[in-house]
Amino acid sequence: MEFKKVTAALLSAAVLLGLAGCGAPKEQNQELATVQQETQKQEPEVRGVTAYVGTSIFEDSLDPIKGGMSHGFPFINNALLRVNPDSKYVGDLATDWAVSEDARTYTYTLRQDVKFSDGSDFTAEDVVFTYEQVMENPANNENVDLSRLESVTAKDDYTVEFQLKEPYSPFLDTTAQLQIVPSDSYDSGKFDTMPIGTGAWKMVQYDHNQQMILAANENCYYGVPKLPQVTLVYMDADAAFAAAKSGQLDVVMVGTSYADEQIPGMTLIPFETMDVRQISLTVQPKHTVTTEDGKQITVGSDVTSDPAVREALSIGIDRQKIIDNAFNGIGRPAVNFTDNLVWASTEEYPDGQVDKAKELLENAGWVDTDNDGIREKGDIRCSYEVYSAGGDQDRYQLASALAENAKELGIEIIVKSASWDEVTSLEYSAGVVWGWGQYSPTVLRSLFSEKLFMKGMFDNVVGYANAEVEAQIDKALAASSQEEATEAWKQVQKLADADYPYLYLVNIEHCYFVNDNLDMSPETQVPHPHGHGTPVICNMNDWNWK
Amino acid sequence: MNENRRSLLEARGISRRAWIAFVIVCASIYLIGVFIWGLLLNPETYAVHYENKFLAPSLAHPFGTDFMGRDMFYRSIKGLSTSLVIGVLAAIVSSFIALFLGIVSAVFGGWVDKLVNLAIDLCMGLPHLVLLLLISFMMGRGVKGITIAVAVTHWPALSRIVRAEVLQIRSSQYVQTAYRLGVSPWKVAVTHMIPHVLPAYFVGLMLLFPHAIMHEAAVTFLGFGLPAEMPSIGVILSEAMKHIVTGKWWLAVFPGLLLLAALMFFDAIGENLKKLWNPSSGNE
Repeated sequence: MEFKKVTAALLSAAVLLGLAGCGAPKEQNQELATVQQETQKQEPEVRGVTAYVGTSIFEDSLDPIKGGMSHGFPFINNALLRVNPDSKYVGDLATDWAVSEDARTYTYTLRQDVKFSDGSDFTAEDVVFTYEQVMENPANNENVDLSRLESVTAKDDYTVEFQLKEPYSPFLDTTAQLQIVPSDSYDSGKFDTMPIGTGAWKMVQYDHNQQMILAANENCYYGVPKLPQVTLVYMDADAAFAAAKSGQLDVVMVGTSYADEQIPGMTLIPFETMDVRQISLTVQPKHTVTTEDGKQITVGSDVTSDPAVREALSIGIDRQKIIDNAFNGIGRPAVNFTDNLVWASTEEYPDGQVDKAKELLENAGWVDTDNDGIREKGDIRCSYEVYSAGGDQDRYQLASALAENAKELGIEIIVKSASWDEVTSLEYSAGVVWGWGQYSPTVLRSLFSEKLFMKGMFDNVVGYANAEVEAQIDKALAASSQEEATEAWKQVQKLADADYPYLYLVNIEHCYFVNDNLDMSPETQVPHPHGHGTPVICNMNDWNWK
Repeated sequence: MNENRRSLLEARGISRRAWIAFVIVCASIYLIGVFIWGLLLNPETYAVHYENKFLAPSLAHPFGTDFMGRDMFYRSIKGLSTSLVIGVLAAIVSSFIALFLGIVSAVFGGWVDKLVNLAIDLCMGLPHLVLLLLISFMMGRGVKGITIAVAVTHWPALSRIVRAEVLQIRSSQYVQTAYRLGVSPWKVAVTHMIPHVLPAYFVGLMLLFPHAIMHEAAVTFLGFGLPAEMPSIGVILSEAMKHIVTGKWWLAVFPGLLLLAALMFFDAIGENLKKLWNPSSGNE
């Protein structure tokens, strides 16, 4: 430490001498001095924040054209719409929007007097440019799907019209996902790490897999952030926890297994999310399917294809106990999607009905004949494999806690772990612990549409097929108003949930240790979408020192 | 140091051979004991007990318990036993490959020798861990992937030892005589060479174990080996990583020591066998 100080002093003396020696103008020296004075003055007043919010934010491009930050918590660029703390869409770069009667034309009125952080004006031209870039390079963007968009035109400087190929109500979600880039200064290479946007923050420094330094954007139309600077750091989760303990971080994301720990000067805050964990219970009896590329895949299970088993599991397990065991009690029991989503079904049922569950199983012929605690029906053992994918310890613990709980019902759940690419061939015959949390109701189509069975990687893995549900999905997609669409989406869940194709377990909560002097403004946080801890930055411009 | 110990042992009337035999027996008891105990262990002993989460080591749980309340002592024994099974398989397969290639290469010479040397150089040229990851990944990971990967990558060093031994024997008088008498190369290999190579081979085999076990644990630790539901030292250590920072030291220390002990015992057996079988030191 002493050595460093001495070196620094010597170096600065040398620099000053050098400047003087070269005969630098006096003003420059003064400027240097004032800058130093200013930084010295500012730092003790308003300190920046250093935060660890997981590493996923470092793994993907930040360029909106390539799908960057499209999950509902952008901080550099803005989309036309954004989500408010009630999970409703409100205008962001657009002030108003209208959908035509045939549900194929969407017209957005844009906000005026908005500037990008480089000083250029935001106009309809930028919107058209952004959407056309994504339409031209759909392969670069796996998060925003514009395949149903026919054209986007600027009616005038502040009006944009979208023409769809077919009615598609989730297009509204798309306009909240895709953030606008400036048409004049867009640079595909640079925007991966240093995008220019209209948001509250601008990237000052980006060090790959080390840190992002963000500074407040004075041009921001919804107010300048209260903090001058936020640094997001890249670390291993355990290293981040250790760094927080030694006082180096103001915000640190932790897994639920750290919830019992204490860090002096910091408090653990669990934030509300819309992220649910559910286990797929395949509804088809066991058989073999030959795929288009000639691969033999086992589909279905003779255990969970029995509706009684699925229902018994859903109503018989004790979700609170599972959460206590797996997640230290953090998270809320969930029996369907969370009610902080506009389109989610709010119908609930009590769980822990052990007697009723046992009766259901016995009536369906599942009886423990060999007294090993697990039921049988004929020579079929009431046993189901559940995979936790991708080395996610939280999911593994959840599945293990469920297995313990299901034993009481006489159902054996064998917990296994596998990589995601192994899961793609196992998911049709075994259960998988899934995590879903997004604002767009398109997730319901992924879960229940018969048309998607064995088409996408993770769509409708249970093999669910129900004509009524399919009709409601089509109705929702073709709706011309959000109310109509929401109504149909609720019907989809009402019909499908009656068959219990997915075993919902928990609405997780994201845990952070937060510096006691930092106010993270929980009232302006949106319910966090799926995002491995990053969504907490959604309201970074409201963060302030107490 | 060695001299001192020797004279000390002799002073107490313990011959060096007896001491070596003692070390070998102790090590074997530990290794075979863990191996068999683990195979016969009732899964209930390391089952999930949520009421016992994160207990520090005590009499009831000598190695403590983990985040699911599993007893770490039994889990570590089971894990080490799994590692030993894979180690034994790997050692058998790799040593057979090594014996075969080493003898063939030395007996036939010429292009056979060149080919074998090329194969050895090829395998040794790649970092071992990378080779393991590649093969494990290619074979579909999991138990199958890691077992095959560990089994088929541990022969090159032993092949070289066997080849060098055989080359030495080949130039000796009685082997040359056998050749002149018209005995076929195969017969010479089987009757004259293998018996002489065996001591070096067994020592090499013993020293191969720790490598195989260490590599299995390393690949599993990195997430390319055994799955999380199988107790193994690699899985245990990688799980422990997440909890070390919160002060759960026992999750890593005891399983690590258990693994270390197993490796050192294998090493001790190998080194002592070498002393015993090596003609120049065997009668000391």
